[in-house]
Amino acid sequence: MAAAKRNTETKRKAPKGAARSERNWRHPLRSWLGSHRASARQALRQVGRYPFSSALTVLVMTIALALPMGLSVLINQVEQLGVNWQEAAQISVYLKDDVNAERQQEQLAAIKTLAGVAAAQLLDKELALAEFQQHSGMGDALLQLSYNPLPSVIVVTPASIDGGAAALEPLRDRLAAIDGVDQVQIDLLWVERLASILAMLERFTGGLGLLLIIALLLVMANTIRLAIESRREEILVVKLVGGTDAFVRRPFLYIGVLYGLLAGVLAWLLLAAGLAWLNVTVQQVASLYQSDFALIGMPWRDGLTLVFGAMLLGLVGAWLAVGQHVRAIEPS
Amino acid sequence: MIRFDQVSKRYPNGHQGLDRLDFHIRAGEMVFITGHSGAGKSTLLKLIMCMERPTSGAVHVGGQNLQDLSSDDIPYLRRQVGVVFQNHQLLFDRTVFDNVALPLIINGTPADEVGRRVRAALDKVGLLSKEASYPIALSGGEQQRVGIARAVVHKPALLLADEPTGNLDPALSAEIMGLFEDFNRVGVTVLIASHDLPLIAKLDHRMLTLDQGRLITDGE
Repeated sequence: MAAAKRNTETKRKAPKGAARSERNWRHPLRSWLGSHRASARQALRQVGRYPFSSALTVLVMTIALALPMGLSVLINQVEQLGVNWQEAAQISVYLKDDVNAERQQEQLAAIKTLAGVAAAQLLDKELALAEFQQHSGMGDALLQLSYNPLPSVIVVTPASIDGGAAALEPLRDRLAAIDGVDQVQIDLLWVERLASILAMLERFTGGLGLLLIIALLLVMANTIRLAIESRREEILVVKLVGGTDAFVRRPFLYIGVLYGLLAGVLAWLLLAAGLAWLNVTVQQVASLYQSDFALIGMPWRDGLTLVFGAMLLGLVGAWLAVGQHVRAIEPS
Repeated sequence: MIRFDQVSKRYPNGHQGLDRLDFHIRAGEMVFITGHSGAGKSTLLKLIMCMERPTSGAVHVGGQNLQDLSSDDIPYLRRQVGVVFQNHQLLFDRTVFDNVALPLIINGTPADEVGRRVRAALDKVGLLSKEASYPIALSGGEQQRVGIARAVVHKPALLLADEPTGNLDPALSAEIMGLFEDFNRVGVTVLIASHDLPLIAKLDHRMLTLDQGRLITDGE
């Protein structure tokens, strides 16, 4: 009884927590860890008790995660391809026919010093003809010609094509002003089209991802709400013998994180397998276009982001349900 | 240990649960609350547990005015009280051991000590051999004793019981009351709500009698 009196006296001075038994103050970390271990065990038991509905929840979450993540990974990798194409984006500077070789070298040197030029390469008319013969499939027809119809070209790689063709206009003007330049041609249309298609897909994926994340949170919240309802009696008893709201909440938060972990790992596996499966056909298509482009599979970073993101979403979804429903269950 | 000062409880539907109750229970006492069903016995216990708040008046437990407790403080009050319910309130999906261990798990007792104290409590109520059983496999009297073990496992200073012998035959009832007397003998304040007058009459303890929410005998 003396101990009880001491407890209630300290309680008057510091109402919160002071009533916890003195023993636990000596092992705060140990008791905190023990209590978390108990909560985690209880979460596992709850998941294990309803294996079918748990599996359904995890699968729904897996799909909700895999869909936007898969699209995002795909778009990222196609964008990588786009970057290569951007490097290949070129401005063709056609030289007048009467410019001699020495003068061409001077022009090349002048172009290289211009701001906004990453690289420039001279392709004189002989070289251009040889290349054209090789790639156009009209080699024989060209041999019939008595003269070389192609002009010499300086191929300019712009430092940046951000902002599209319009942003390159000043450079084009400067190139055109160089003595002996016949014509300057910028062909960025296809790069711009690709960029805007990717931007559109990215936005679509973002919107889809947002919707699916909301769906995932709702699925999680509903699952946890049902779990709370199924343990109503237990929650009442726990509260009656002095369990705090935090103690009651904790196993359900663990359940949320556990579902998130399982769904994240499953989604990762699904995407890794799916991308490998898709890669076979992607490589076939790419080879038809003389490209050795291939999907690089599911990057580790994205996989880890997926798993941790899923755990976080599970936690948030569980929190949404728990905050509302645990407080509402009070013994009376 | 427990003091009621002019405590009234009126329910929203107009029912007068308790009417200006005034009494004092000292530490170490064993007290029965008796009266017809609906006289306010359960309401009185619920006020001590902070499951309900009085409409007027003040309830003091262990020198603490319960009016001053915020809802965050209530769990810590309950940890100092052991409660035995008529319907046991056991968790049927857990073993006897896990049921009794619950208050210790809640206050974060280290695992090795949990085992020691749960077995001590089960030994006290004579159910040490049943620790791995599930409550469903036990008789009504055994279930009630598991409930008692859970109520005392964390060594509360105050033990409350609401009709602890409600569904038991006279012999088992006497046995359960004997257990409460044992706890009282080692210094635990015991407060039992019961309408089993023949049984209570045989035991020589203070008796509070309620009638329609009013205290008609104080027993002091």
